Amino acid sequence: MPILRFILQRGFQAILVTVAVTLFVAFAIRLTGDPAIILAGDSSGVTEDDLVRIREALGLNDPFLVQYFDFIKSLVTFDFGDSFFRGSIKDLISIALPSTLLLATASMVVSIVLSIPLGIYSALHKGGISDQIIRVLSLVGLSFPNFWLGIMLVLLLSITFPIFPASGFSSWSSLALPATTIGIILTATNVRLVRTQMLETLSAQYVMVARAKGLGEWSVVYKHALRNAAISIVTFLGLQFGNLIGGLVIIELVFNWPGMGTLSIEAISQRDYPLLQATVSILAIMIVAVNLAVDLVYGLIDPRIRVT
Amino acid sequence: MPATSSPILSVQDMTIEFGVGDFAVRAVDGLSFDLQANKTLAIVGESGSGKSISSLALLGLLKNIGGRVTTGRMAFQSALLGDTVDLAQASEQELRQIRGNEIAMIFQEPMTSLNPVFTIGAQMVETLVLHQKLSKKEARAKALEFLDLVRLPNAKRLLDSYPHQLSGGMRQRVMIAMAICCEPKILIADEPTTALDVTIQAQILHIIRDLQAELGTAVIFISHDMGVVSEMADDVLVMKASKFVESGTVKEVLGAPKADYTKALLAAVPRIGSMTGTQAPKLFDIPGVTVASTSGKAINEVIDVNVAPVLEIEDLTTRYDIRGGLFNKVTHRVHAAEKVSFKIYPGETLALVGESGSGKSTVGKTIQQLVEPVSGAMRYHGRDIFSLPAEERKVFQKQTQYVFQDPYGSMNPRKTVGESLVEPAWVHGLVKTKTQARDLAADLLTKVDLPAEYAGRYPHQFSGGQRQRVCIARALACNPSLVIADEAVSALDVSVQAQVVNLMMKLQADHNLSYLFITHDMAVVERVSHRVAVMYLGQIVELGTRQQIFENPQHPYTKRLLAAVPVLDPGHRPNRPPLEGEIPSATRAVGDEPEIVTFRQVSEGHFVGT
Repeated sequence: MPILRFILQRGFQAILVTVAVTLFVAFAIRLTGDPAIILAGDSSGVTEDDLVRIREALGLNDPFLVQYFDFIKSLVTFDFGDSFFRGSIKDLISIALPSTLLLATASMVVSIVLSIPLGIYSALHKGGISDQIIRVLSLVGLSFPNFWLGIMLVLLLSITFPIFPASGFSSWSSLALPATTIGIILTATNVRLVRTQMLETLSAQYVMVARAKGLGEWSVVYKHALRNAAISIVTFLGLQFGNLIGGLVIIELVFNWPGMGTLSIEAISQRDYPLLQATVSILAIMIVAVNLAVDLVYGLIDPRIRVT
Repeated sequence: MPATSSPILSVQDMTIEFGVGDFAVRAVDGLSFDLQANKTLAIVGESGSGKSISSLALLGLLKNIGGRVTTGRMAFQSALLGDTVDLAQASEQELRQIRGNEIAMIFQEPMTSLNPVFTIGAQMVETLVLHQKLSKKEARAKALEFLDLVRLPNAKRLLDSYPHQLSGGMRQRVMIAMAICCEPKILIADEPTTALDVTIQAQILHIIRDLQAELGTAVIFISHDMGVVSEMADDVLVMKASKFVESGTVKEVLGAPKADYTKALLAAVPRIGSMTGTQAPKLFDIPGVTVASTSGKAINEVIDVNVAPVLEIEDLTTRYDIRGGLFNKVTHRVHAAEKVSFKIYPGETLALVGESGSGKSTVGKTIQQLVEPVSGAMRYHGRDIFSLPAEERKVFQKQTQYVFQDPYGSMNPRKTVGESLVEPAWVHGLVKTKTQARDLAADLLTKVDLPAEYAGRYPHQFSGGQRQRVCIARALACNPSLVIADEAVSALDVSVQAQVVNLMMKLQADHNLSYLFITHDMAVVERVSHRVAVMYLGQIVELGTRQQIFENPQHPYTKRLLAAVPVLDPGHRPNRPPLEGEIPSATRAVGDEPEIVTFRQVSEGHFVGT
C-alpha cells in the first residue's frame, strides 16, 4: 500500500524534525541565563542556599538529558507543569492555542474566498481592465505593512463606525477585524499565485484537448484547469497556514488577541522559561504537523505522487 | 480523384488573422480545399506555414489562442444539426456539439495531451457522457471497447490508470481512442507521430489506417514528414508561409510536383535507400545552392582507419540509480549504457542510432563528462581520460564539443550571440582580449555562413535553423577535434535540416572534424555517416560501415528499425507487420544484471550482436 508507506515515511521524518527542534529549544533556553536568579529577582537577602533550593525545586540540577526527557514527557502527556508567574501552563495554552488556530483558519478562509475567484477571473480576462485593476490592488496590498492595515481597519470599523470590537476576544464578532486584516494581506499574494497557476494550466495542451472534446467552458476551466492549478495552490496555501500559526505575533499584539504569539511575547518579556519553552515547542510541532498534512494532501490530489 | 459525391467538408478562401488592427498578422491566407468522406487529406508544410492553425479553425478553437477567421466559408455536412453548417459562422453552442463528436482531433504531443490528474477512463467517459448521453456505466463499457480497438493491452486496467503511468506511444493510442469514441465523421490528426519513435510511429499509423477503413472516417492529416504523408494520404495539400501552394492526389503532388517550392521540399527530404550502392556520405542537393569549400573538397569521402583513432571507448557502462523505500535505498538501476565500445577516427562521422531509452544520449553525455560512468575506459588520442586529474580532463572537454537538439533552450536569451559564441573560448583561455573575442565571433559566424554583424543580435532574433548554426559555431570556438551532435538536426524543418547537415559535412571536410552523430532519424544517418552503431536497451547490437548497416542489416532490431521508416513512394502502402507491445525498459532491479551482447564479425568491420 503506497499511501500507507508514504504516511509512515513522512511521519517518521516529522518525528525526527520535532525531536531536533525541541532539543534545540531546550538547549538554547538554558544558555540565556540562570532561571533561579531571575526568579529570585532583586529581592535582598537571597542566599546561595536559597538559589540551590530553587534550582532543586525547578529540577535544574538534573543532567540536561534528564531535564530534556522530563520536558518531552510533559509534551507527550500534555502536562506542562507551572509557569513561573502565571500558574498552570496547560491552562494558558488551552486558551491560547485554539485562539491562534481559530484566527489563522478564519484568515485563510477570508483569503481563499477572495483570491481564488479573483485569480481565476483575472487569468480568464488576462490583459483586460479587470485584470489590471486586480493586479494593481494586489500590488497595493503587498506594499502595506500588515499592522498598519489593522490599525486603519480599527479606526474605520470600530471607532468611526463602531461595528466590530477593536481588540480582545470576547465574542465571534471580535474575529472580524483581525481575520479580515490578515485575509486581505494574504489575498494580495494568493491572487497572484492563483492567476499565474491558472494561466499556466489554461495554456496547457490538455486544456485545448478538453475544448476540442466539446466540453463547456465551465468544465474546461473549473474541472480541467483548476484541478491541475490546485496542486500548487493547495501546497502553497498549506505552507502559508503553517507560517501563519507562528507568524501571527504582530497582528495578535495589535488586536490584543489572546493567542500563542501574545503568550510567547509575554513569556519572553517576563523571562518565563517553562512557558516559553512550551509555547515555542508547540508552535514548532504545529508547523511540522501542518507540513506533514500538506505533504499528504499533495499526494492525494496529485496522482503522479500517489500512484507510481 | 473526381468528386463524385459532395465533399463532407468544403473550405473556401479561408483567411485567419492574429492580433488586431495594424498589428494583425495573417496566419492563413485564402486557403481552400475539399475533404471527401473516407479519404485522407494530408496538409503538408514547414513550421509557420499555418497548417496547424487551419485545423484549430475547423474546430472553432482559434479564439482561445487569440486568432480568428476573418473571411471564408467552412461548409461542413453535419448529420447532427441536419444540414450544412458554416463552421466559421456557427455559434459556440453548435460548435460544442460538433467538437469531439462529429469532428475530433488528435494533437502532436501525447505526453501533454492527457490531463495528468484524471484517469484515462474518466477522460474518455466524460466525452461519451457529453455527446452520446450515456450513463457512466455504459460509457465505461464503450471506452473499454475503443481502447481494445486501438489494440491497447490490459484495457480494463488502463481505464483506472493515470496518464503518467503510460508510455508516449500508449498515450497517443489513448488519445486516438478518445478522439474516435464518438465515431466522428472527420478526424484531424496534427502531427500525431512526430514526437514518437519510428517503430511506435509505424504502429500508430497502422492503427489510424485500420480505423479509417473500419469506421469510414475522413482524415485530415497534418504533417511535415513527407514519408509519413506518402504512406497515409489520398490527397495532398502543400502550404508555405500561410499560403496555399498546390494540391492534388498523393501521386500528383509527391510524384510529379508542379510548384517550385514542393520540388525543393521534396529534394531536401532524406530518402532511406536512396544511397544504395554509394560508399561515401553525400550532400543534399538543394536547388540553387552550390556548396563551396575552402579545401576544395566538399566532403570527407574515405576515412583512413589505419591511423590512431581520435576517441576510443571501451566497455563504457553508465547507470542511473533509482531510489525508493523507507530508507531511500537504491532499489532499481537504469542500465543506460552497458559495455559500449567503439572508435572514432579523424574526420569520421560515427552515427549512434536507436530509439528513446536506448542510451544513445547517455553515451554522448558520458563522453562529454556530463555524467560519471560506472566503469569503462575512454582514450582520447591514446590517453586514458578517466585516469587523468580533473585539471587535465578539462583540456579534453575543450577538445570535444556538444551540440544539443534544442537550439532554443541551449542559448542564454539574455546574452548576445557573440557573447555566447566566445564564452567557451574565454573559459578555456583561448581568447584574452575583447578584440580577440570580437574577431573570433566574426570568424565563427562566417564559418557557419552567417553574416559577421549578427554577433550583436540576441537569440530570439534568429530562426530555428540560424540558431542551430550558431550552436554549431559555438561548438567550433575551441577548435575541437570531436563534435557530439545529439539530435542536432531533429527539430529542424526538412529544408533547413538539409542545409545544416550540408554545413556540418562541409565543416568536417574543412577542419577534419570527427562527429559522433546521435539520432533516431535513419534517413539522415544514411546521408551523413561513415559508420553506424545501432543501440538497443543500452547496448550496441550492430556496428558497421553505413553501407553494411543499410544494405545488409543483420540484427533483428536493425532490420525492424529500418523497416519502420516511412518511405517516400507515392501510392505505396506499407504492409509491414505492426510492432505489438512496447519496447522493454532498461530499468532493472538491483542484482538483475542484463545479459551482455557478444559480437560476431560478419565481414570486414561489420559486427553483429548475438
